[in-house]
Amino acid sequence: MNNYSIWVMEFAHVPNYHLSGLVYGAHNQGHVRLPYCYVVIKGHGQVAMVDVGYNHKAYGEVLANLYGVRDWHPPREVLAECGIKPEDVSNIFITHAHFDHMGNIEDFPNAKFYLQERELSKWVWAMSLERRFRWLMLGIDPGDILRAVDLARQGRLVCVNGDREEVLPGIDLHAAFDTHTWGSMYVTVRARETWVFCGDLAYRVENLRGTDPDDPQYIPVGLATGSQFNLIMTSEAMVKSAGGDPSHVIPPHEDRLKEMFPSRQTSAGLRITQLALADGDKSLV
Amino acid sequence: MNSQPVDDVTAAYILETRKTFEDLRQVASQIAGVLVLAAAGGKSATPDHPMLEAAAELHREAADRVRSVRPTPRARAHHACLAQAAEALSLALSASQRMEVEPMLIPVRAAYAHLQRAGNTLPGFEMVAFEQGCCGLTA
Repeated sequence: MNNYSIWVMEFAHVPNYHLSGLVYGAHNQGHVRLPYCYVVIKGHGQVAMVDVGYNHKAYGEVLANLYGVRDWHPPREVLAECGIKPEDVSNIFITHAHFDHMGNIEDFPNAKFYLQERELSKWVWAMSLERRFRWLMLGIDPGDILRAVDLARQGRLVCVNGDREEVLPGIDLHAAFDTHTWGSMYVTVRARETWVFCGDLAYRVENLRGTDPDDPQYIPVGLATGSQFNLIMTSEAMVKSAGGDPSHVIPPHEDRLKEMFPSRQTSAGLRITQLALADGDKSLV
Repeated sequence: MNSQPVDDVTAAYILETRKTFEDLRQVASQIAGVLVLAAAGGKSATPDHPMLEAAAELHREAADRVRSVRPTPRARAHHACLAQAAEALSLALSASQRMEVEPMLIPVRAAYAHLQRAGNTLPGFEMVAFEQGCCGLTA
C-alpha cells in the first residue's frame, strides 16, 4: 500500500460543450459542462502531476472568445489549495501532447516530464507532411515543441518507450498507442486502492460504462487520431488495471466526479475532488 | 486580439495572408521538431533531415508571398510581424546547415514571438489549430 493523497484539480471549464464531441455518436443530445483538470499525487516525499493544463497567456483570450472557456486560474493559485507550489512538483506525466494537457510546461521549473517517445516522434513526422494533412496537427502548439527542446536540453524530458513500471513507488505508465493520439498513455497509482488516470482516453463515464447501467458497454471518445478499436481495447485494459471497477478510471473532463467522490468548490468556483488521503494529510474537501 | 472592425480591403488581406501565416507557423514547428530530436539525442537530427528540406521549401514560398503582398494601413503591423518572422526563420534555416542548436533555437523563438504578435494585431490568425480540436474547443 502506498501512502498517497490524490486530488483532481479543476483550473478552467467550458459551460456548454456538445456531448457528441465527447461520446462517439451522441449527436443532438445536448450540451454538458466540461471542466479542465489536472491530477495532483502527493506522497513518499514527492509531488507528481498528471498533465499540466494550458498557458493562458498564449491561448486564453482566443479560447475565451471563440470557444467559451471560462475561469482559467494559474497553477500557483490552483495548487495553493493543496499547500503546494509549482516549484514543489517533481514529476509530471503527460498523457498526450495536446496544448490543454502539455501547454503549461514553463510553470513547473523543477519537474521532470514523462512523455511517450512515439507521441513526440509522430507529431514531428506529421509536421513534415504537406498542408492537406494539417488535421493531424490539431491541438499542437509550436511553442510547446520549443519548450520541449528546452526540457530536453535541461535533461528534464524523459521519453518513455511503451509501459514503464514503478516510475515512482506504486506508479506505472501504460502506453495506449494509436488511440486518442499516436502516443497517448495512462497512469496507474496504487494507493489504498488502485486508480487509473486516463487523460483523454475517456472524457465521460459513458465512454467506460455506456448509457444503460443494466447493460454496460465501452463507447469511444468523439475525437481520435488513432482508431476506435484501440480506444475500446484500451478502455478494457484500464478497467482491468483498476481491478475491474470503472469508477476508479478517472476521466479528468468528467463533470460528475463531484457526485462520485468527495468534492468541494473553492472560493474561485473551481472544483477539487479528493480520491485518496495519505496518513497525516489534511482533507481538502 | 485586436477587436477593432476590419475594412473590406483588410479583410481581403487577411484571407490572402492566412495561408502564409500558417506556413510560417509550420516552418517554425518543423525546425523545432528537428531541434527536439537533436536535443533528445536523436541520430536522425542532421542537416539533411527531410523535414529541414521541407521547411526550407515552405519557407521560400511563404517568404515570397510576404514580400509580394501589399498591406493596408490597418494591416501594416501584421505584415511587419510576418516579415520579421520570415527573416528569423531564414536565419534558423541557415544555422540548420551546421545543425547548431543554439543559433537555430534563438531565431525560431523570435519567429514564434513575431507570429504571436501578428495573431494579436488582426483576427483570424491562431498559433494553434483549434478547429475540431479536442477538449471542448468546438463548443
